[in-house]
Amino acid sequence: MHLFLLIGLLAFSVLAVLLRDLLKSAISLAVASIFLALLFFLMNAVYAGVFEISVVAGLITVLFITAITLTRGDGDVAESRKHRIIFPLFFLVLAVVDLLVMKKLLGQIPAIQGSESGTFSQVLWNQRTFDLVGQVGAISAGVLAVLALFRRDDMHGTASKGGSHE
Amino acid sequence: MNNLWILNMGFVALLVGVGLYCLLTMKNTVKLLIGVEIIAKGVTLALVAGGYARENLMIAQSLAITVIVVDVAVIATALALIININRHTKSLDVRKLTKLKG
Repeated sequence: MHLFLLIGLLAFSVLAVLLRDLLKSAISLAVASIFLALLFFLMNAVYAGVFEISVVAGLITVLFITAITLTRGDGDVAESRKHRIIFPLFFLVLAVVDLLVMKKLLGQIPAIQGSESGTFSQVLWNQRTFDLVGQVGAISAGVLAVLALFRRDDMHGTASKGGSHE
Repeated sequence: MNNLWILNMGFVALLVGVGLYCLLTMKNTVKLLIGVEIIAKGVTLALVAGGYARENLMIAQSLAITVIVVDVAVIATALALIININRHTKSLDVRKLTKLKG
């Protein structure tokens, strides 16, 4: 089951990269997110799984589809046809190197067994308070950046419209 | 448990590799963001798999959630930027960004 979910995650991620239609790519990415969330549920990481499904598979997919719709018609960028040959070669080399290196590399990491106590909310609110402050900062920065970008665009948009009539 | 961790980390390396390939070879700006998203998926999986193997799942989950939230902020900003650039250049081609003047 675990292996099946990992293969599904990788397969849909590869599809998201290789598919030419951006909409299909975005949907493949959402399906990959669902596979990842199922993996999290399988590993008892329920909160991470819920976030993965709701935020990544939901919100980010909606953002992608909105952006693709707003830029519709201009999205046909001519990608190189060499991907069909280069990507399988690249993937094969990567998989072989991964297979050879990963087991030895991970075997050298010392096993640190941490003693974990308390519930998830205690760990999140008490131990990782700094992370929460960082998250609030990141979200605020994102919102302000989006607002600034669209406001500036409105000013330039009216200016360029006026200029194009001349 | 240990074998599962190695399996997970093997797939993490493959995911990050696929994301890096996308970033290095694709010309469509939305595709580049999809590459960033795939790398973020790999990082999240690495965090949770590490926490699962070391029995520190709570801290691993809180870190994974932090990564997801930061990822959303990055993607939202980048998509807004792409829409703005698209209005100016009428294209999603990353090669045309070199021709921007001031």
